[in-house]
Formats: sequence, structure tokens, C-alpha cells
Amino acid sequence: MPVWLREHSWRQTLSAVYLSLPLRGARATPGSIFCSERYLKVSIPPFLFEAVLYAPIDDTNSTAKIGNGNIFFTLYKKEPAMWDSLTLANTDKEKLQYLRENAVLKAQEKAKEETEARKITKQEHKKYALEATMKLEEAERKRIEDLKEKERQKVAKELELWKNQQKDGDTYKSIQKEGEFYQEIEPLKERKNEKMNKTRIPTEGTSKTRLKSTKGCSCSIFSENLKEEQLPAPRAAATIKVNFTPRVFPTALRESRVAEEEEWLHKQAEARRIINSDLSELEDLKEEEKNPDWLKDKGNKMFAMGDYLGAVNAYNLAVRLNNSLPLLYLNRAACHLKLRNLHKAIEDSSKALELLTPPVPDNENARVKAHVRRGTAFCQLELYTEGLQDYEAALKIDPRNKNIEKDAEKIRHLIQGTVQSS
Amino acid sequence: FAAAGLERPQVVSHVQQALSYTVFDCKWVPRSARLLCLGSAARGTGLVQLYELHGARLELLREIEKPKPIKCGTFGATSLQQRYLATGDFDGNLNIWNLEAPEIPVYSVKGHKEIINSIDGVGGLGIGEGAPEIVTGSRDGTVKVWDPRQNDTPVANMEPVQRESKRDCWTVAFGNAYNQEERVVCAGYDNGDIKLFDLKTMSVRWETNIKNGVCSVEFDRKDINMNKLVATSLEGKFHVFDMRTQHPTKGFASVSEKAQKSTIWQVRHLPQNRDIFMTSGGSGSLHLWKYEYPAQRSKKDSEGSEMGVAGSVSLLQNVTLSTQPISSLDWSPDKKGLCVCGAFDQTVRVLIVTKLNKI
Repeated sequence: MPVWLREHSWRQTLSAVYLSLPLRGARATPGSIFCSERYLKVSIPPFLFEAVLYAPIDDTNSTAKIGNGNIFFTLYKKEPAMWDSLTLANTDKEKLQYLRENAVLKAQEKAKEETEARKITKQEHKKYALEATMKLEEAERKRIEDLKEKERQKVAKELELWKNQQKDGDTYKSIQKEGEFYQEIEPLKERKNEKMNKTRIPTEGTSKTRLKSTKGCSCSIFSENLKEEQLPAPRAAATIKVNFTPRVFPTALRESRVAEEEEWLHKQAEARRIINSDLSELEDLKEEEKNPDWLKDKGNKMFAMGDYLGAVNAYNLAVRLNNSLPLLYLNRAACHLKLRNLHKAIEDSSKALELLTPPVPDNENARVKAHVRRGTAFCQLELYTEGLQDYEAALKIDPRNKNIEKDAEKIRHLIQGTVQSS
Repeated sequence: FAAAGLERPQVVSHVQQALSYTVFDCKWVPRSARLLCLGSAARGTGLVQLYELHGARLELLREIEKPKPIKCGTFGATSLQQRYLATGDFDGNLNIWNLEAPEIPVYSVKGHKEIINSIDGVGGLGIGEGAPEIVTGSRDGTVKVWDPRQNDTPVANMEPVQRESKRDCWTVAFGNAYNQEERVVCAGYDNGDIKLFDLKTMSVRWETNIKNGVCSVEFDRKDINMNKLVATSLEGKFHVFDMRTQHPTKGFASVSEKAQKSTIWQVRHLPQNRDIFMTSGGSGSLHLWKYEYPAQRSKKDSEGSEMGVAGSVSLLQNVTLSTQPISSLDWSPDKKGLCVCGAFDQTVRVLIVTKLNKI
């Protein structure tokens, strides 16, 4: 139950009501006052004061002053009249309720209207500011444009002047030219003869006549003639041989396949690091026998000596240790070829080719070998078309290899031979 | 700060002319306000158009049609009175034309087996000393030097050792022609090779590789002791080499700059100031650069041999004119700041670069 504040005092004039409300120690804030046209409420929990006013007041202009432990209201009456009392007497509960609600609603509406009005004014201000900035910028731009335009016109005028000068100079020179033309024919003829003999240009005699004819001309022509007389003979022909910087890729840097090269190198590095370490037999092996590279070398040596089975064993072990080194498969394919395990040879060459992607010049050799070995295996299985395909792939990578060319030719003939006979 | 921006040289577009063919090269006719456009018409023939600058427009004075599309041209080896144009075409023919009587060339030779990509001339126009010579670089990998007084055979031929390993030569330039004997030819190839051929000793004086194909090389002046060489390449890079000091192993010192993402098609030095040059790019933009020399142009290395010190390059201005590459660029030798550029959007533009005096 709120504590009612009843000790209020008031006085009035014709147009205003002055109400003083002692607060009994409570702290009042602007939020605790609620005022509408006919209803006034001060709520500072637990204290409460309300008054249904005798007559409507102008609540927008009315003020409340908080201080000194009380609130001093200055309420401006809507209609100047003397009130009988501050509050309405005989107010039953319903009317009170109704009035209260009404008051609240009205207050809310007013608040809404106020926010709307504020928004509108804000927008207008913004618009104004924007327009002002735009005008300023426009002015600036125009100024710069004007300067540029002036510059342009000045330059255009200068150009015209210069051009007219040139024109005059030209007409002068052309008149001169025509005058000299006839006089020049003689020395020209002499020159032509001399050209035929490839001897040096004009002798004293002709130079004298030339000098005479050009006496009245401008200096440049004069000096020009002198220069002509001193021209050296055409250079003795010679050839300079030129070497171009060797490039891995015959195109500009931007078209080079640097990215693919990088990928390939990366792949190789990765492959080397893989060790399939989940083999139980590993413990039996010596340290060096666990190194795929060492095993590969061993295999190569055995292949060179003709011990193909041994080489295959070495490669097998190496593959078990590291199954992504393309060279292992490549070499094993060669062994299988020698051992006439043709299907295995094909398998291994294919695996090698798979691992030799991306195709870059670095692994060109390896790819050529893989194709050739697979091709050979196909041919020995009498699958000549597949074989030819591989040989042609090899030729594409290395067009200059004569052996491959010869073999490809042979296969082509074989194919044609079988087609004819069947 | 806007004022400071306007202190820099401005590139003002003066005239724009739409053409009905692809323009490959554009050149000012020396001592005049006339310019030439060389290119290829849609029906596969070559076109040479002569324009004159009239106020704010270009007036077509003459149009010459030739059987093969024309790739490049130069006035470099002709005298100021004759002003003959030397052209290289798509078929490998080198022709020298008298524009007053263009039906029959003054000089003609089938110099190369494939398109002549680039041409340069020296010894003419009152610049430099020595015999007038023309150099052509072609897709067949050879660089040949011609003397208009000698028919049919070149006076120098730089060809690959093995036929199979040829690389396209994309650009050539003369330099070091400060007296009658000295002359060098610099050639840039599509694999990034730059080679310097000395014509006096008939040998390769220097070679290097800048990784990306070389689109354009130019010495800052042809007729002085070689000072600087700019080489531009694909992927937006260009290198400025200091050519005064050659180290026995390291060659020439250089500074490189990456200007933009696209190919830099051309570099051209301002004839009136050899430290300013303009590069044109594949994105239709032009950049104006200034080279600053270092405090000391050469220093001694650990073994006591001289090596060059490269300076620095700063961007003065850049402007985007087109959406297509600007493939050719030429400064007027007579009016400072006047230049013409041709782009693959079939437009030729005359530009004026202002405030070059203040640099």
C-alpha cells in the first residue's frame, strides 16, 4: 500500500495554479512526475500523490520544480477561471479510473507525436547539410574545370601560332626548293655515277657548284650539304650471330608453368618423406636396407649386371617402404620387360606415369621412358594399337628421338600389315 | 592542395580523330604540323594517311594504300628536305617512300621472312653524324641494318645461331651515334632478352634478360654517347639502364618500376628534355615520368672495377584516354609537349602536355 502524500498546499490566480508538495525526505526525479490535462500524479515509491484536477490544464507548458525537499508545480489553466478546489470532489472510483487511463493514453500519444516531430526536424537538417556540401563541392569542381579549360585554350592558341610559323617557313622553303631543283639535277647525275662505282661522294668541282646554288638559303640546308659530302661509305656487310637465353618454357613468364613445376617438386619432396613404417619385417633389415634410395641403387646395379630377379626384389622392398617414388615403378617395369612379365610391366609403367603428374620438363625423361616401356610391352602382347599410342605419346614429349620414331614407324607398318592380311 | 596538383604537367587532349582502320604507328612529319598514321585496313591492305592539324581538328591531306598492312615507320634516316618515310610491313618488306610521289618506293627490299615488328632510323634529320641507316627487327628473329644507298643486302645482320631457337624480335633502337664510326643497335625480344650490338666492332656488346617480353626500347638520345636506355615489358614493368658505365660482369645498372598491371607498349623520350619520358599502357593510359640522376653515377666495386649507379624515377602525371591499348606514341620534335598517340580503339589523339618548362 502506497503512502499517500496529503500535505499539500496550493494557491491560485486566474490563469495558474501553484501547488507545493512536501516530499517528506523522498528523492524526486523528473521521471516520478506524471501529468496530463486533468490528472497529476507523483510517485516516489512508497510515496504516492495523485490529484484529479478540477479543470483541465495546459500540461505542456506547466512546470514542476524539484528542490528543497518539495516539488513546486506551476500549472497553467486552460481556461482562466477560479477553481473551487484543487481536485474534483465527488469522484467515484470508476470515474477516477477512467480519468487515469485517459490521462495515460493521452500522455503516450503526446510522447509519440513528439518523437515524430523530432525525427522530421532531424531529417530536414540532414538534407540541408547535404545540399550545402554538394554545393560547395560543385563549386570546387567547377573552379578546377575552368582552370583546365583556360589552360587548354592557351595551349591551343600557342599551337596555332606555332603552326602558322611552320606554314610560313614551309612555303618559303618550297619556293627555295623549286629554285634549286633545276640547279641540283647536274650534281645529282654525277652522284648517281659515283654510286655505281661505289667511290666517295662529290669531288671538289661539284661541291663548288652546290655551294654556289645554295648561297641564299637558310643555314640548315647549307650545313646539310656539307654533311652529305662527308658521309662515310656504306658499312661493310657483316653478320653477328646471336644466342638467346635458354628458357625452360618458350613463352613469357606469365605463361610459364612455374606453378606446375613447384607442384612437382613439392610432390617429390613429400614422396621422399613417406616411410611406410607398419611392416613387421622391418626389424630384420639393416639400416641401409630401409632406405628406398639405397635399394633403388642396388636394384639399378643388379639390372645392369643382368640379375633381373634380384633387381625386382630390391625394387619390391623399396616400394613397400615408399610407394610414391615414380622411379621405382619405372625401373621395375624395365625389369619386368626383360623377364617378359609383360602385364606386370604395363602395370608398373602405368603406375609410374600416374605418379609423374604434373607433366613438367623436369620429369620429361622419366615420362618418355615410361611410355616407351609400356609401348614395348603392348607390342609384345601384340596389342599394337595401344603400343603405337604410347610411342606417339613418347614422341610428343621428345620429338627428336630417332629410335622412338623408328620404332613407331615399325609398329605402324605392322598394324597396316595385319589389317591388310585380315 | 588542388593548386599543387595543377602545378604538375597536365595532359590535355587536343584533338581526337576516329579512323576506319587499325592504326599501328603514328609519326609527326618533321618541321611541320602534319602527322602520319600507318596501319591496316579491314580488307588486309596497308594504309598511310597524312593529316594536318587545323585548330581543333585534323584534316586529311592524303591517303595512300599499299598491298600489305604496314606495321611501323620512321623518318629517322632521311634528310630534312627529303623527308622520306621508311616503313616495315606485315610481309617483311622494307620500303622508303617519297610522300609526294608514293606510287613507287625510293628503296625497297624484302628484308625479312616475317612481319617487321619495329623500325628505327639514324643519321638523318640533321641529328647525329655518320651514314643514314635503318634497322628493322622482325618476328623471324633477325635484326638487320640497312643503308639506303646499298640495295638488297643489309649492312649488318644479327641472326640466331640455330634456326630452330629463334625468338621474335619485338623492338629495335639506335643509339650512341655521336660520331661517324660509333653506333649501337639495341634489340628487345619476346623472351625478355635485351641485346646491345656494337656496329663498329660488329659484336654483341651486352645482353641481359628481364624475364618478361620486351615491348619497346629507346635510348634517351640517339646522337650522344649512350646515356640512358629505357626498356618496357609485359606485365607493367619498365627498366631504366644507366649506359655510361659498363661493368665487366654485371653490365649496366638499372632501376625498374612497375607502373600498372598491363603491358607497357611504348616508351618515348621527350626530344627537348632527355630525362622526361612517357610510357603508354595496355589499359589505355599514359604515364609521364622523370628520371633523377643519383649523386654519383658510378662507384667502384670490391675489385676496383667501375660500376654504374642507377637513379630514381618519379611519376609526374598519368591519364587514361581509352579502354584499348595505346600502341604508338610520338612526340613532336618541333613543339615541346605536343604528341600524338594511336590506340587500338581506332582513334588517333593529339595531346598537349603542359608545364614541361617548369620541370
